[in-house]
Amino acid sequence: MSQFFESLSALAQSAGLADLTGAALRYLFPLLALLILGRCARSLLLFQKEPEVWAWLSGPGGARLAVTHWETLLGRAKTCDVVLDYPTISRTHAVLTRYDDGSWTISDVGSKGGIQVNGESTSMAAVDFGDRIALGGVEFQLVPITKEQEVIQASVRTRAGDEIRPGVTLFFLTVFQILTAFQLMLRAEEPLPIGSAFLILTGIQWAFFLFMRILRRTGFEVESIAFFLTTLDLAVIASDDPSELRKQLVCIAAGLMVFLIICWALRDLERAKKLRYVAAAGGLALLAINLLFGVEQYGARNWIYIGGISFQPSELVKLCFIFVGASTLQRIMTKRNMFLFIAYSALICGCLVLMSDFGTALIFFVAFLVIAYMRSGSFATIALIVTATGFGGVLALRFKPYILNRFSAWGHVWENALTTGYQQTRAMMCIASGGLFGLGIGEGWLKYVAASDTDLVFAFVSEEWGLIMAILMVLAVVCLAAFVARSASVGRSSFYTISACAAAAILLIQTMLNVFGTVDLLPLTGVTFPFVSNGGSSMIACWGLLAFIKGADTRQNASVAVKLPPRKEMEER
Amino acid sequence: MKRISHRMVFLIVLVAALLLGILAFTVHYFFRSDDWVVFSGSPHVYTGNNLSSGRVTDRSGTLLLDSTDGRSYSEDAALRSATMHLLGDRFGYISSPVLNEYADELVGFSKVNGLYSLTDASNTAVLTISAQVQKTAQAALAGRKGTIGVYNYKTGEILCAVTSPTYDPDNMPDVENDATGAYDGVYLNRFFQTSYVPGSIFKLVTSIAALENIPDITQRTFTCSGTWEIGGDTIICNGVHGTLTFQEALAHSCNVAFGQLAVELGPETMTAYAEQLGVTESLKFDGVTTAAGSFDLEGAADSEIAWSGIGQYTDLVNPCQYMVLMGAIANGGQAAIPHLMARVEGGLTDRYTARTAYTETLMDAAAASQLADMMRYNVVNMYGAGQFPDLKVCAKSGTAELGPGTTPNATFAGFIQDENYPLAFIVIVENGGSGSATCAPIAGQVLNACVAAMQNEG
Repeated sequence: MSQFFESLSALAQSAGLADLTGAALRYLFPLLALLILGRCARSLLLFQKEPEVWAWLSGPGGARLAVTHWETLLGRAKTCDVVLDYPTISRTHAVLTRYDDGSWTISDVGSKGGIQVNGESTSMAAVDFGDRIALGGVEFQLVPITKEQEVIQASVRTRAGDEIRPGVTLFFLTVFQILTAFQLMLRAEEPLPIGSAFLILTGIQWAFFLFMRILRRTGFEVESIAFFLTTLDLAVIASDDPSELRKQLVCIAAGLMVFLIICWALRDLERAKKLRYVAAAGGLALLAINLLFGVEQYGARNWIYIGGISFQPSELVKLCFIFVGASTLQRIMTKRNMFLFIAYSALICGCLVLMSDFGTALIFFVAFLVIAYMRSGSFATIALIVTATGFGGVLALRFKPYILNRFSAWGHVWENALTTGYQQTRAMMCIASGGLFGLGIGEGWLKYVAASDTDLVFAFVSEEWGLIMAILMVLAVVCLAAFVARSASVGRSSFYTISACAAAAILLIQTMLNVFGTVDLLPLTGVTFPFVSNGGSSMIACWGLLAFIKGADTRQNASVAVKLPPRKEMEER
Repeated sequence: MKRISHRMVFLIVLVAALLLGILAFTVHYFFRSDDWVVFSGSPHVYTGNNLSSGRVTDRSGTLLLDSTDGRSYSEDAALRSATMHLLGDRFGYISSPVLNEYADELVGFSKVNGLYSLTDASNTAVLTISAQVQKTAQAALAGRKGTIGVYNYKTGEILCAVTSPTYDPDNMPDVENDATGAYDGVYLNRFFQTSYVPGSIFKLVTSIAALENIPDITQRTFTCSGTWEIGGDTIICNGVHGTLTFQEALAHSCNVAFGQLAVELGPETMTAYAEQLGVTESLKFDGVTTAAGSFDLEGAADSEIAWSGIGQYTDLVNPCQYMVLMGAIANGGQAAIPHLMARVEGGLTDRYTARTAYTETLMDAAAASQLADMMRYNVVNMYGAGQFPDLKVCAKSGTAELGPGTTPNATFAGFIQDENYPLAFIVIVENGGSGSATCAPIAGQVLNACVAAMQNEG
């Protein structure tokens, strides 16, 4: 193997091979990337949104109403999932909840007429098929769907990966990776570590794919997008500092583990709900450790060192935060106030401000707004919170004017090119130097600017790969968010929908702060670009966020975060 | 669930914000990336203080500067001195507006391919100046401070733009510690960046105003007794001219006649003409912005108005701008706007080729033609056509008083009336004394060099 690499580099030196291949590859790479992302996007965004029917609700006169979610709001209002237009039924009357084991409960969500199950008034009770459920005096029965119906339904729904095979997408991605590694190795003084790093990445990705196949999961688009961005991440590191490749690979592997663990946690909603308390405590503990043992780096005290390994706990707190914020419909409709959640969010943001990690604080604040809005649906509340925080921010700036300095260059970077605008001006200069197709992988100059592989990674990729690739990188994140938005209407539980939306929102906000900070549309806050920025904690956190997105994938056989019927039943059809 | 899932609309808002931002940046990229790429901190295009801007040659291909690898000027020391203010020095004291303006073309930038180039071939900037003319002009100034400009008023090509003092960029003198005053204002390009008291060459502006506003001006006679009392002040003439026609008044540069004309025309008309003829405006081309002249009769007494018509008082003109006015007189009222960059050669096709643009119509064709005849009369009868053998030169001289005890600046401006050599020129020698005596021989040498350079091109 190493002999092969040696002969390769000898060849490159003699014939200027790197220049020649680079000339061709700089046009090929955007095409390949477009192909890979296009396949993922078509598959993720054009699937048939067939609702899953979990049971029927039969009412007076034999009317049968489909129950299409695990959490179903019953009531007279048009916005209810099952609209029951009877005068004695309240606008929002009850929530019908299905559990993982197939059992059902019904709970009163502040109705006037109340609920009776088999004649007994209750505020929350288990329901069996055939039980008489009276809502405001109107009687219904829960009717199961037959196995036959279930099988037909499963066959009608879009089966993930049927039309656009993820294996083929992955093959294109592998070609992309091989060519990237090839081009990097031709330039490098020591090609071996770079070659092996890409080999390991490709290996991990196929092993992961096969593992999913064994679990009978055929949807791999979300992961493919992540692996595509991860490939760019490795290329950036290989160009900037190949000695960090090993650390990053370890973190990618760790990220995949976190991905699987969170998927597992999400499969059972009861388990996920219980984990919320662990997550809440864990998040606080991480931040407490950070506050006690944190080390300042680049102006923010958000790093801790354990045995020579640096780590940013605040990245993982994002995952805990989503667990805490997500909530089931029954809980949202009965416990309407969010006091605990607001207090928890304030605590976390406070800790981050103490570490002067404003970028991350901003991400949490937006995530908080998103979750708060998803739970309350009230713009007035959100506006109130934003106004209050805005006042707080203005006061803080008034008493601590040094904070303002961080933002002083915003919009004026060219006038401050030697001081506060140094990074942004270099970034834009390099974006321009790269043009649409880049100077070639490993050919950039931006690597000599501080934090170019993290805060300025958009410009780094733009200089070496071209603006088209940098924009595709942003579109990859957009694609994940668009998928979440599209899947929301067929979500099983609001727990999944809220957590997926929050995760997608965090990815979007990070992308926005990173890219817009680099090109001076926003102040530079030092936030990482999902998956692409060099950084272990950030990489792990991004895979964790991806698990929540995966949890919203309800296409047939798509997600490990969604349980499948036992293999026997599947084979029967 | 419906309620919750509808609330994912905020995700769409975030996606839209992100896409809008990216779109805004992409648009920004297409408008501004040519500025970003030549940003002075860029190691891709800068070596030290200087842009690695490829090669620069004169109009006939003589190499002036090669900055593809380091920065080497011409091997001819005289040529180095004569072109330094156009090319910039080594240390950033003197910048080159024209090379900066076309920097993105010179470094081979394109919005699609960025700075990427497989072959590393450098681009070549071809300036409109002639190396030979530059050297001749610089030598003609013989170390005196001043400036000389010549351009083709039909195409706009600047053949000569020389400023003095200058120095050899490869052999820079100790400017900071110089006590002799020989290098005062050496970092200025006097042709573009300064404004001078014009002296009598400004009588051309007064003449245009008179030709267009006083119907019987050519039949008019003026009487000069050497002085003219007005408003308690005395206008002193350079001689006692007796009775003069308008044409003779311009030829003898009679202060009394032109003082009277300025007062007769009045401050509004005089100011309007100074503005219309571009005296008070900056000229912008090829990254160069010339200094604006000045003509201000705000609250001026009659005697001051008289002096302003003679080119004194607070009058200032920029040499380059005034040269264009000469072109307009020669060319029937409208001249080409000058330019320095002929083309940028790179790859198979030229990346940039100059196009001729014209000024607005500055004056009537009739007035221009009459004034041209009068300027020809000047040369034939006053300065001596023998100064310019074979060339039909029309001109006006000036001796710009700077104050008591100071030798006046010599000024001389005009043009060649010839379809084949349509050249307008201006010569200013600081503290040069008499305009025609000092400047006419210099103009003769430089114009001959220009004609020779044009003849060589066929």
